[in-house]
Amino acid sequence: MPLIDRKAAEIADPQGLTLYPAADLPASLSGPSGVILSPDADLALLAPHLPALAVVTITFPKFRDGRGFTIARSLRQHYGYAGDIRATGHFLPEQFGFLIACGFTSFETPATHGPAQFAAALAAPHQPGQLLRRTLGRALEPV
Amino acid sequence: MALQVITGNRLADGVSVWFAGAEGWAEHVEQACAYAAPEIEAALAQAMPPDAELQVVEIRAVEVVRENGTLMPVAHREQIRARGPSVRADLPAGVWRDPAAPLPPLPTAHSSSPFAGIYRYDEYDRDFLRQRAREFGAMVERRRKGELSEEEFKPLRLMNGVYLQLHAYMLRIAIPYGVLSATQLRQLAYVARHYDRGYGHFTTRQNIQFNWLRLEDVPAALAALAEANIHGIQTSGNCIRNTTTDEFAGAAADEIVDPRLYAEIIRQWSTDHPEFTYLPRKFKIAIVGAGHDRAAVRVHDIGIEAYRNAEGAPVFRIFAGGGLGRTPYVAVKLREDLPVPELLRYCEAILRVYNALGRRDNIYKARIKILIREMKPEAFIKLVEDEYAALPADYCLLTDELVQAVAARFPAPDLPRQDGGVLKAAMLDDRALARWVKQNTHPHKAPGYVSAVISLKPVGGIAGDASADEMDIVADLADKYSLGEIRVSHVQNLVLPHVAKDDVPALFKDLVAAGLAEDNIGLVTDIIACPGMDYCALATARSIPVAQRIAERLAPRQHEIGTLHVNISGCINACGHHHVGHIGLLGVDKNGEEVYQITLGGAADEKAAIGKIIGPAVPTAHVPDAIAALMDAYLAVRAPGERFIDTYRRLGAAPFKDAIYATH
Repeated sequence: MPLIDRKAAEIADPQGLTLYPAADLPASLSGPSGVILSPDADLALLAPHLPALAVVTITFPKFRDGRGFTIARSLRQHYGYAGDIRATGHFLPEQFGFLIACGFTSFETPATHGPAQFAAALAAPHQPGQLLRRTLGRALEPV
Repeated sequence: MALQVITGNRLADGVSVWFAGAEGWAEHVEQACAYAAPEIEAALAQAMPPDAELQVVEIRAVEVVRENGTLMPVAHREQIRARGPSVRADLPAGVWRDPAAPLPPLPTAHSSSPFAGIYRYDEYDRDFLRQRAREFGAMVERRRKGELSEEEFKPLRLMNGVYLQLHAYMLRIAIPYGVLSATQLRQLAYVARHYDRGYGHFTTRQNIQFNWLRLEDVPAALAALAEANIHGIQTSGNCIRNTTTDEFAGAAADEIVDPRLYAEIIRQWSTDHPEFTYLPRKFKIAIVGAGHDRAAVRVHDIGIEAYRNAEGAPVFRIFAGGGLGRTPYVAVKLREDLPVPELLRYCEAILRVYNALGRRDNIYKARIKILIREMKPEAFIKLVEDEYAALPADYCLLTDELVQAVAARFPAPDLPRQDGGVLKAAMLDDRALARWVKQNTHPHKAPGYVSAVISLKPVGGIAGDASADEMDIVADLADKYSLGEIRVSHVQNLVLPHVAKDDVPALFKDLVAAGLAEDNIGLVTDIIACPGMDYCALATARSIPVAQRIAERLAPRQHEIGTLHVNISGCINACGHHHVGHIGLLGVDKNGEEVYQITLGGAADEKAAIGKIIGPAVPTAHVPDAIAALMDAYLAVRAPGERFIDTYRRLGAAPFKDAIYATH
């Protein structure tokens, strides 16, 4: 599936990237590596590996399953993870803004919703979502 | 031999349609093709080509019988879909609106209402709402073209307040914390008149629902409402819903902290919250700031009591995990004395734990109340406290500056009028006025004023329904007597919050003239009832007619009976709050017959309790007799001045149970 960034531009994986399911993550990593998380992942177990991971991929089994939003926010806020957070699975162009606001930086677009639909979602004149954000300023932005 | 027809609802307008074979979909059941059992699979295949979803949704076969040469479904729900609501013979099911008909200008175009203590929107806020209406229009378009499947579209439309019900789409509009201006009420009347069939229904969550929307009209209706700063955002779906509060907030004599300020802050924080919009299930927050809990905070997902600490600063008591529905619970207390700056941070911590751990495998076990019980309250509280402690120090901090910025948009109404004695004198001569004042007014913090409740429970009427004309009348009365301000109560009545005592006789006269002077607030005919199976796709019984029959039966004795809350739900989802009625009625389907389970002893206030089922369900026709017998038993044993709920607490269920089951 095409991979896009926050501007809905198609991008490529870092050269030689290896993505491991969380259970198969080796103790020591060589070369650019990433992990694939299910939505019930225990981040505390992953914490020691985070500095070595270029990508954390979070799976959305269905777009209605919003656990991935909390995982991404927790990675940024609690664990200070600064690498690429990628969404995969079933999510909608309608959720693009929320995904970005929670810290996602790349998106493996679902088969039924290609990059063009995400670009269109981005092109619509969009007010900042959360009303209180204006007054709270940066305090509500992901850290 | 059992016959079946194939039915569904048309995507564009939600109208119930019936499969007529080669002729496609018809609007009347009589036009449908009827199939014997061996033919039905092939017929369903014919009715559901791969692109069927672009025209008709929820396609299924239902059983019918031939009656006097015409077809009629067997199930009550399907009969109602075919004919229209049983309680509105004037409104048959089917197409009713010509979408090409021109519309008059919006009331906002010429309104000069003062809008009193309403939170002031600015152009930024209004643009946000206009944009949301356009976004919803884009979603409808994507759905129409097949870019969104029905499965994907449904949660998106729900989050904009749009349900598919039995006869059409239902549009639920938020009335944040129940506060409306006269201008806004006129705009709602406009939508009722032009996009619906002339009325709306005020709900137990201080919202209003329109029953007859065409999906294609919804973006235009939302755009019209946006001009009056109202919307349907997050009135459904698995997100944080409209925050509710005390209908007398900002006016009540017993108020300690005005909850509207914090309710507005919570509204802004929860609207389009990027992390908490796809929760395991819906999430309801209520806040109260008076000595008496008029917002039922202990039966909400998060309940907040605002009070003052020893220094006089506002602080919060936080509850979580209350709720009604299939498994009713009174909430557990998480925190005392939470300072204002921490309010949203603490809510974030609760929501984060819930979003990560709430069950998603079973819709009936997905509410936070189940999570808390399954993991035990102590363990849940520890997780919330850990999450809260780990939040970055400045994250979501509710600074004094921010509180002041929001507070500045709530201008305090000017209340200069003194009590000139007009009301007291008028009451001496007018018993009807005196009785209405006793029953329908509430003490105001300014001694020259009262809050006046306009009952939407005429005996024999439909609880919470108001016609477009009635909405316009109430808006005019609000301008005349209440600084242009109206409240919606969770008991489905309207309130004029700031009425000078000297104006009350004139207000009463106007209400009598408008047929809106029912003096039954808090009495047995002030029944909470959900729309039930006359409208709702989830309901298993018709709650409206039961409420009508009970009210008609007991109206002559209601003042003698005194305070009594009768709450009726047409299904286990408990929109009619039956669990917390002093008398609760739950309609269930028993082998195709609508019967009612009776519970006693529920309460929604600071003594919140879940009512107890007293015995086998009662057939619908016997419910008024059963409640009348219950009242006889109560009047025979009550101590002087004792409310039913207090008699029940003193004596238990036994005397009432005997009375009910002796009737049939």
